Amino acid sequence: MIFWEIAKRNIRLHFLRSTLAMLGIVIGVIAIASMGILGNSLVASVSDNLKSVGDSVIVTPYAGGGSGHFGGGGGSTASLKITDQNFQQIKRVAAPNKAIPVYSTSDHMKIGVGSDDIVAAIYALPSDDVPDMMKLQAGDYNNGNSGCLVGSTFAKDHNLKVGSRISIGTSGDKGALRVTGIIEERGMSFDISTDNSLIVTPEWMENAYNRDKDYDEVVVKVKDGDTATVKTNIEKQLNKHKDNKIVSVMDSKATLASIYSTFGMVTTFVTAIGGISMIVAGVSIFNIMMMSVNERIKEIGIMRSIGTQKKEVMSMFIYEAAIIGIIGSIIGGILSLLAGYAISALMLNSTKYLFTLATAISVTEGVAFGIVICLACGIYPAWQAANMNPIDALRHE
Amino acid sequence: MDDIPVMSFEEVSKIYPLPAGDVTALDRVSFQVDRGEFISVMGPSGSGKSTLLNLMGCLDTPTTGDIYISGTRTGDMSDVELTNLRRDRIGFIFQYFNLFPLLNIIENVTFPMVLKSQHSVDPERGREVLRSVQLEEKLFTHTPTELSGGQQQRVAIARALVNNPDILLCDEPTGNLDSKTGAGIMDLMTELNRKGTTIIMVTHDPHIAEYSRRTILIADGRIVS
Repeated sequence: MIFWEIAKRNIRLHFLRSTLAMLGIVIGVIAIASMGILGNSLVASVSDNLKSVGDSVIVTPYAGGGSGHFGGGGGSTASLKITDQNFQQIKRVAAPNKAIPVYSTSDHMKIGVGSDDIVAAIYALPSDDVPDMMKLQAGDYNNGNSGCLVGSTFAKDHNLKVGSRISIGTSGDKGALRVTGIIEERGMSFDISTDNSLIVTPEWMENAYNRDKDYDEVVVKVKDGDTATVKTNIEKQLNKHKDNKIVSVMDSKATLASIYSTFGMVTTFVTAIGGISMIVAGVSIFNIMMMSVNERIKEIGIMRSIGTQKKEVMSMFIYEAAIIGIIGSIIGGILSLLAGYAISALMLNSTKYLFTLATAISVTEGVAFGIVICLACGIYPAWQAANMNPIDALRHE
Repeated sequence: MDDIPVMSFEEVSKIYPLPAGDVTALDRVSFQVDRGEFISVMGPSGSGKSTLLNLMGCLDTPTTGDIYISGTRTGDMSDVELTNLRRDRIGFIFQYFNLFPLLNIIENVTFPMVLKSQHSVDPERGREVLRSVQLEEKLFTHTPTELSGGQQQRVAIARALVNNPDILLCDEPTGNLDSKTGAGIMDLMTELNRKGTTIIMVTHDPHIAEYSRRTILIADGRIVS
């Protein structure tokens, strides 16, 4: 393969120039692939945090406009509640999926004597339903009437253990609770955010805050994953009248899909910004290929005069662009893993999402784009070389 | 086969259209070259020698008239066919040797063989031809820039001969050599002609033209003798 050999030797002859052009491609591939890796890692990270809530339909009182069925009339959401009657309707519609009624509030509390006053969210949900919503890292689900579960971050921040006591209310007027279990970290969620809060029994909440089956939200745990149908059925049943909506229904799966889609767009955008550096690298390849052709006009004339076909002349220059493209892109692909590692470590504080199929796809795309850009930028110079008039080329000095 | 002329020009004209008016570089030129001939083409600058050489080498096409190479009319051939014709039937020797600097001597000589076979070739044929042009064996793996002018021209002759062409076209083959080296190259070409190679040589130098057996004198685009 004499033309391949000539292409290799020409690159070797102009080593510095070829290396600089290759460097452009290396940087371009790193920019594209590492941005892709970062985007994928972000999606994976968010996905990891939200995966536990992807099977939920969250029903909250309707807060926007309307006639104020719950007495709110578009006012403060604090006064909006889901009545027990509505809850029973939701329960029937969602069956056989489990509907979990949730009370929520926030209050001052103290941990131990002389400790600082802190404010945290308090949720109440039936004890039987707690295992469906969360897992414990320590202690027991059975928290009794004066027991509570605490979120992992809350426990860590305030040095709480199973058996610790928390007094609720500005001056402890709501009573004291004993920690019976510590909840595993759940991260972000659409239903209830447990990491920094307390879980109590409905009975305790009803006593302490004079609540009477007026829930703040209802969480439906969908077993077969068809959250969209459950959402539609609840809306059909409770929001029969367009101007008199009772509840807002959120399909966590659809929300997740929307979040992933947004992250996907962000990834595409940052990758496209990386693509600009690849285009600059392509211009550099085009430039050195044009230089290569212009330096070798006479050689092209000699080749054509002694019987070299146009396509063979063209192949010689395409090989040159391909060698620069392939070597540059592969080096860029390898280095982009290192760059992805560094960026993930710095921005996400974790590199556990680096070695995934999505990363492999990002690197492959970056490498393929690098090679394609090099070949595309080599085509015109190669075509120009092949189509030179051999007589003019032979006369060239 | 031997009766067919190696090359024949029939009423060939070449006109270059220029903004200031058409320039007739060759005007109804007819001649033929028989197998085994050694012809010099002479004439003053601008007489049409280079145009004639380009047409003989199928690098250019005539405006009117016909050119035949070993009986094949070149006028109807595509670029691919003309390129193959140059590769297989015509050997080119240039004034400035025009070897490929990226290839060593053996690779330069076997380059036309690679074009013809489309595969790697036996370098022994290259060595054989290089020996026939009396190049020292120790130089075979050198690059062209490591050789003297005379040695480079011998390599160029070997490259032109390697595919056994019907005809050798030489453009001032000694124009870039000192007289002693030039004489050595001409002795070699005379020897090749004696063995049957047809040679057409364009030259300014009457002493060099004396090596040939026929001279075509060209002036103002016409053959004058």
